[in-house]
Amino acid sequence: MMRARGFKRGGVPVNQRVPFQTGPIENAFLPMNAVVLLKDTFTAVEPFPVVHVGQEVREGQLLAKSAGRGSSNVHSPIPGIVRRIDSVKTPGGFDSKAVLVSLEGSFSVLGKRPERYLWKSLNKADISHIVQEKGIVCVSNGEPLFEMIADRSSKPGFVMVISALETDPYRRTEEELLALRPEDVIDGCAIAARMALPARILLAVDEHIDATTVDRLRDIIVSSELDVSIQAFKRRFPQEMPRQIADALDIDDAGSLFVLEPSTLIALHEAVVANKPHIEQYVYIGGGSIKRPAILKARIGAPIGDLIEECGGFSGTPDTIVIGGPFRGRSAADLDASVTRTTRAVLALTAEETRSAPERPCVRCGDCVEICPEGLDPYSMLKLLRVGRNEEAGAIGLDRCTSCGVCAYACRSRIPLVRYFDDARRNEVRR
Amino acid sequence: MKIPGGGASSYPPYIHDWKTSAMASWICSLTLLPVVVWSTVLYGRAAAQVWAVALASSIVSEAIASGLSRRWTLGDGSAVLTGLLVATAMPPGVPLYVPAISAAFAVLIVKAAFGGLGANWMNPALAGVAFAYANWPAAMREYVLPRAVSGVDGVSAATPMAFAKGLASIDQGRVMDALRGASYPLSSMDSSVTGLLNDSIFSKLGARLPDGYVDLAIGFKPGTLGESALLAVLAGSIVLVCLRLIKPLIPAAMLVVFAILARAFGTGLPGEVFFGGDVLFALSSGSVMLTAFYMAADPVSSPVGRLPSLVYGAAIGALCFAFRRWGSFSEGVAYAVLVMNVIAPFMERTVAGLGARGRTREP
Repeated sequence: MMRARGFKRGGVPVNQRVPFQTGPIENAFLPMNAVVLLKDTFTAVEPFPVVHVGQEVREGQLLAKSAGRGSSNVHSPIPGIVRRIDSVKTPGGFDSKAVLVSLEGSFSVLGKRPERYLWKSLNKADISHIVQEKGIVCVSNGEPLFEMIADRSSKPGFVMVISALETDPYRRTEEELLALRPEDVIDGCAIAARMALPARILLAVDEHIDATTVDRLRDIIVSSELDVSIQAFKRRFPQEMPRQIADALDIDDAGSLFVLEPSTLIALHEAVVANKPHIEQYVYIGGGSIKRPAILKARIGAPIGDLIEECGGFSGTPDTIVIGGPFRGRSAADLDASVTRTTRAVLALTAEETRSAPERPCVRCGDCVEICPEGLDPYSMLKLLRVGRNEEAGAIGLDRCTSCGVCAYACRSRIPLVRYFDDARRNEVRR
Repeated sequence: MKIPGGGASSYPPYIHDWKTSAMASWICSLTLLPVVVWSTVLYGRAAAQVWAVALASSIVSEAIASGLSRRWTLGDGSAVLTGLLVATAMPPGVPLYVPAISAAFAVLIVKAAFGGLGANWMNPALAGVAFAYANWPAAMREYVLPRAVSGVDGVSAATPMAFAKGLASIDQGRVMDALRGASYPLSSMDSSVTGLLNDSIFSKLGARLPDGYVDLAIGFKPGTLGESALLAVLAGSIVLVCLRLIKPLIPAAMLVVFAILARAFGTGLPGEVFFGGDVLFALSSGSVMLTAFYMAADPVSSPVGRLPSLVYGAAIGALCFAFRRWGSFSEGVAYAVLVMNVIAPFMERTVAGLGARGRTREP
């Protein structure tokens, strides 16, 4: 098999992954009440609501319209009545307008067999229009996909990376999607390539991917007539981050990579061939406190508590509920937090998994320096920040920190280094 | 719906490595357990009392410090480790007030008074040891032979190093042969093990291990509690390095530099020739190994970063050699580390500063 590549320094090897029963991905039950956040991420621009309280909406009907750059259309995940439009605090810590829709009436879009449009007859502008219209966002960063692609196509010569890399011990949604729906992923890839015109395409897979999946992907790639090469990567966090992918490929400028995930490509594919808005999300439900870890195809706006219940609920008491990955996710204050287009995992972690301990003074062990995948010196950065020499901290590396969380993972004194780094940078922006 | 557990940490990452600073201290202390056991086997009550008193004194001191600062810190394990390390430098049979006061000085003055674990700029245990050498020089150099060699308790004798320094001349740097020639005591264990090693391994390599080194390794010689269990110390060091609880570059650099210098310029014994020093003797006498792995590599008082660690370790090796070669005391190795402890923050600023500037040039 091919030689697996890896980034050059630091990182956390994933020696043991949490066992996972693979199988067809099930649809989660429709939520009785969907709380649809209009802002997926801190940096996203909030779209304007186009519905009013009391209005009846169909499944897939537009709830909010893009407010320009950085903003995307939001559709109703379920048929029902708009009950409230309110500002809520998201798990990410920022405020967002949210539309509450109560389930009522009948299905339309997803109850029917999807029609399949032959997208190959569409031109670039038509496809781009569909992607914008259907509110497709990149699942990993929440940016509107049509904008990302438009930005890319204006600067040719980049490599499009289809990244099925998941280097934390839990989530393996992308890996499963690649194995279960390879045709749709490659078709989505063809659509993205038609719009973005990359110099070449690279399919990034885990080093332990099974050979039959690779063979099958090769066959599909050949018949798709795309120029796609498959490259294996070592299972070490944060391999999935663009900087580390570039480092592993010996590419100096991570900006010359355009990274998309299979789940984003499937959303893209379904928007173009089945006219489906981005109202579903593949969510990995797992962690030591979940009875039956699974990947669910959930409607956005569904409360995470419902999904956990569908996975058999909790076994034992969870220490922390995390939305997103264990290294970079955010803890959920309660189980009513709703699924967004960037919710890739919900983890209920036990105390044995979090291994949290009270913060103690730094013992200068230097582990953070050894483990930083960017080759930075988190120890000195924190030391400078603590005496208010923020500019010097920026100069020695804070400006290049990607907040991957590895230093704080390794810290023996459980100092939340990333929090200090993020806070310092947030204050810098404010100033 | 509220989360049952409540959520301990509120900021990512939500998973952590198994190591905590407290666990590191406790594991470090555990690796010293074989040293405690072996020295007690060798010296009986005389050793056990020193361990017990040093440990009790450091725990009581930490409790007092905790009470004064209203912060319960005994759980971090550093006090127990400090107590054990202070005891390693004590000769068995030392008056018990020496380990008691030294351990209290280490914990209360060197660690707690400067802000507790993480803020101490000197290794507390070594500072305690230096304190003992400065205050009770005679008591700290009163060594006895283990029962296994002399057959009775409390026969005082000079350490091999001190004895060798007193010899008129050592032929071709063969320290062990010279010691035998001057009828320095040798155990029957040594003769049999050395014979076995020579017959099975060294004869095939065309080499011969002189008598006496096995005694040095298993502690059948007068020495401090830590010195007496060289093999146990080495085993503990391997655990520390494998679990990555210490910075391995520091002892590596220190021992390499020390060994090269000892080979080149000797150990200060009479009749040595250039590049004829006995490296094995230099490494296995005094508490070079224990100091290298347990004290020099102590994270708190050593610099962070690869380059500073290398320079720091190498400097300790060189100082340790110089103090032992031209100074007269076996505790030179302790002073070498303490001197570098003082310089470490400065070194981190300059050497690490260079390293950081070098890194920023990269794209």
